[in-house]
Amino acid sequence: MDKSEIDAIRRILAGDRDQSRVLMDRHFQSVFRVAFRITGDETDAEEAAQEAFLRAYNKLSTFRQDSSFSTWITRIAMNTSINLVERRNRDLAHDGPRVADSYSALNGTVQVADENASPERLVFNAEATTLREAAMTALTPMERTAFTLRHMEDLPMAEIATALNLPVNSVKQAVFRAVGKLRRSLAPLAGGIR
Amino acid sequence: MNVPQHVSEESLIEYHLQESANEAAVRGHLEKCVQCAALSESIAETLRVFSGGPVPEANLERNWHRLRGNVSVLGTVRRRGLRLSPWLWWPAAGLVAAAIALAVVVFSVPRFRTARGADIATLHRPGPLSAKPTDPAIAQQLDSAERLLTEVNHTSGPLDEATRSQAHDLLLKNAVYIHDARAHGDLGTASVLEDLGRVLTNIDHAPDSDDSGWHLRLEWNTKGLLLDIRILRQNDARQ
Repeated sequence: MDKSEIDAIRRILAGDRDQSRVLMDRHFQSVFRVAFRITGDETDAEEAAQEAFLRAYNKLSTFRQDSSFSTWITRIAMNTSINLVERRNRDLAHDGPRVADSYSALNGTVQVADENASPERLVFNAEATTLREAAMTALTPMERTAFTLRHMEDLPMAEIATALNLPVNSVKQAVFRAVGKLRRSLAPLAGGIR
Repeated sequence: MNVPQHVSEESLIEYHLQESANEAAVRGHLEKCVQCAALSESIAETLRVFSGGPVPEANLERNWHRLRGNVSVLGTVRRRGLRLSPWLWWPAAGLVAAAIALAVVVFSVPRFRTARGADIATLHRPGPLSAKPTDPAIAQQLDSAERLLTEVNHTSGPLDEATRSQAHDLLLKNAVYIHDARAHGDLGTASVLEDLGRVLTNIDHAPDSDDSGWHLRLEWNTKGLLLDIRILRQNDARQ
């Protein structure tokens, strides 16, 4: 951690809250990026990133300054993002029907009519996008986090495990489950991937 | 062609994520085995389809203004609690040591019993806890519970409000999932969820004070439960 960050933290702890802008300027985009990968939604990512900064700010006195602020805030952001996804899933389960490819009384899903007739390609692309989004939504928050951070952000398993306070093997298993589920979800598109 | 043994899906995922310890062996096998090569291609295609798209740029100014409005001024933290005069430090230290020794004696008896009981249960357990694929909602409950219990096990002071609230939420849903698991005949999962319910109730009613005895008891209860949850989730990954 460089001197200006240490200095900013010292000043915040002494009562100068505007110094938190220094930390935000440096780390907000990367924290937002992680939150976006986990939540899959820009507004939710902003909310999770803000909550992470707020929590970090309120717990700043417990931060050990010999470690990296970036790692610390990213760790907090992963957890606030997962909590937000869990909250959203809970609200979704309670709040009524969801849009899906087909009507299902059992799953509480409804179909929305497409008002614009599209060329075949657009239909295929739209179907692929819907399938992809549905497949990602079907993952548990932990599976989604482990998969996106490992595969999309290229973070090492050990780093993800440390951030989530889990054994490396649990993170590995979550990635395996995620890839397995996503692979099977592609079967309708590929005409039957094994 | 005689292909001795297929590569598991997990090993192929590791291979594609550059995590494999036997990369050359897996590559060699894929050149010979059509079946594994097809599975490998399917995994590679999945990773291509679900590769990371662009991430939008966060609006720093807007977020700063929102955050600025929510932060309070931090000052020197005043420690709460009893302040002892220096001449009382040694008697107080003696009392604390005696209390710790007493707690160790009192709690070590049930600990040994529990540990022995857990070992016997493990020895007599017929294979995996459950061979049924976990319901997605239950899977999510177990994932959340694993994270929560691990976090609680690593907490030394009193639990914060967010942790208690999360335990409370999980507890509210838990009874429904026990019912669902039983209704689907998945008694292994139902049993783990029942254990989870007991531990969540403890967390939900945890004392506000930094009570090390309470933490020890919780740790003993959660260790076996965490193992069971991990076994369930590992079995699920293989189905």
